[in-house]
Amino acid sequence: MENNETAAGPNAFNRREFIQNAASFSALMAFMGGVPLHAEETTNTPATGETHYSTVSAPVNCAVIGCGTQGREILTTLSRLPNAPVVAICDSYPAAFKRVKESAPTAETFTDYHKLLEKKEVQAVIVATPSHQHREIVEAALAAGKHVYCEAPLATTVEDARAIALAAKKAIKVNFQSGLQMRADPQRQFLLPFIRSGATGKNTMARSQWHKKQSWRRTAPTPEREAALNWHLNAATSPGLMGELVIHQLDMICWLMNKRPNAVSGWGSTLQWKDGRTVADTIQAMFEFPDGVNYFADASIANSFDAAYEILSGSDSAVMLRSTPEDGSKAWLFKEVDSPLLGWEVYARKEQFYQETGITLMLGASKLQKKLKAGEPPPPAITSLQHALRAFIENSDLIETQVKNYVTNYGDDDAEALRGFITGPNITKARLSTAGWQEGLDATVLALKANEAITKGQGHRVTLDKQMFEV
Amino acid sequence: MFMKSKTILLALSATALFALTATAADTVRYKSRPSKVNIAGTSTAHDWVMDGQIIGGFMEVPKSVEFDQSKPTLPGATGGKLAAQVEITIPVTSMNGSWHGMDEPMQDAMNAKEHPNIRFHLLELTCKEPHAAGTPFQFDAKGELSLHGVTNMITMPVSIETVDANKLKVVGKTPLKMTDFKIQPPVKLGVFRTGDEITISFEWLVARPKTPAPQ
Repeated sequence: MENNETAAGPNAFNRREFIQNAASFSALMAFMGGVPLHAEETTNTPATGETHYSTVSAPVNCAVIGCGTQGREILTTLSRLPNAPVVAICDSYPAAFKRVKESAPTAETFTDYHKLLEKKEVQAVIVATPSHQHREIVEAALAAGKHVYCEAPLATTVEDARAIALAAKKAIKVNFQSGLQMRADPQRQFLLPFIRSGATGKNTMARSQWHKKQSWRRTAPTPEREAALNWHLNAATSPGLMGELVIHQLDMICWLMNKRPNAVSGWGSTLQWKDGRTVADTIQAMFEFPDGVNYFADASIANSFDAAYEILSGSDSAVMLRSTPEDGSKAWLFKEVDSPLLGWEVYARKEQFYQETGITLMLGASKLQKKLKAGEPPPPAITSLQHALRAFIENSDLIETQVKNYVTNYGDDDAEALRGFITGPNITKARLSTAGWQEGLDATVLALKANEAITKGQGHRVTLDKQMFEV
Repeated sequence: MFMKSKTILLALSATALFALTATAADTVRYKSRPSKVNIAGTSTAHDWVMDGQIIGGFMEVPKSVEFDQSKPTLPGATGGKLAAQVEITIPVTSMNGSWHGMDEPMQDAMNAKEHPNIRFHLLELTCKEPHAAGTPFQFDAKGELSLHGVTNMITMPVSIETVDANKLKVVGKTPLKMTDFKIQPPVKLGVFRTGDEITISFEWLVARPKTPAPQ
């Protein structure tokens, strides 16, 4: 693999394939006012009413390790899924269990994750502990034969991230998913062939921002607990804003561009929250991609202006992507006056951004427009996290079923043959699209190296070698 | 009286055990290896295919049978009939659709929970002779096919070719009607009605234990 190619493979999309592909065609129909053919869009009610088929996989018993802020969000989201019963939760701080009682009322509680992993009924584990604690938990969970969802970043050191990726690569009988949740979002997946097919013209630059004024500090009853809770403010244990926040946008840019940067330079300062923390509250990073294309990322918890978004600019147009808990994922296309006419944009929904007109790139946009015109409330937005956890549950069930099918008929003596079967085209096409160990490793290494550049000094430049991303 | 009956029973058991041992010694068992199977069908939208790679089971043939494709007949077969024993199992959940969203409706229509496997039990395997040298052997396979808990008798053409010294490839294809097996043709997304006719095709790889190398 070339250094500038991501794990997703070479740039395989072109305009003709985009039109020929059934999913892309339905997207095109959505632009033109048609009804997209997408599972999410249907009620699954048969035409005649005599047959009804479920599209939900079998339940997968889940456990959540780490019941802090993200753990609570995960538990709330799991409680919305019909096939993800939470049978166990774990946290080293027992008081945390009180705050998740509502979303996991019947879950058995543990303060030692080893004991939790001994439970045979636990099939899948979601690791939401502080990032620097991921490695030993993920390795133990995989060794215990559990499916694992590991929150992003994978770890806070390249060594730990590589160890996790290697353990996940070896654990062929289980499903491993990295918490780069936007990869599982159908809205983002819908944009992938559109952008990769060159609809924005020649790629010129990318930019993202993450702005939200907040201290990032949490309070606790004791100084010891407060220190443990604020691990992300301590440079010794935290990958900074880059590793904890920007990593999702960084992954998205690399995924859409299908490229990996060659180098990164960084800047960072503590400007607002001078409370003894050793992590910058405002950062900038410049990622250098092949062919002279740069991606500029900035993040700040000192100012909230314009929240968070990503922009990919090309010679024909720019695409802006945003995600909010209220609206889910959205994207808009901003065309240059000299760009070729695509056709469908004439009929598409448009929104005004100051002096620019954004053409809505949204899965099911026309259907939503019809609902709004009819005075119906819009459907509740599904967050990227919900899409990601749904995919994790369904893929875990798929892998479990297929491994059982294989081992029952052929045994498991030949590990390489089993690997070939699980990673082969038949299973791959049945898996819902998510970030695996390679994507998790790529994004984690990039974020950690960017954080290294930010921490070392103003404009410090780190070269990114191909070997960093290999296990 | 009781002792005499027991003695007769023991004698019969010993005879049966000897017969079984003798049978096993005279046959060679080829076990399944990862293979290819697909179910193809139609719908009111477009054609669809479900693929799988798992065909479990075995094929057992007399040791005297040699699949030597260079010969005009099948050595070891008697009057074109091959005394083969074949049991095939295909897990319904191992089949994945080329058409997104088709897997669950199809697996539900086949009631994979109660009838997790497609099964085939061979009753008769007849070799079509003369055999064209250098080509796979052609057969008519008659047997019981079970889908959705319903068993029907079918006859389908199959070919057997040698892959290497210990491995064979069995290739076959047969058209079926879902309703013959009491399967209600599923409706995808509540809109696209699948056609009753389907075709099951397979390339079944089987291997016998490797012959030890001469000392």
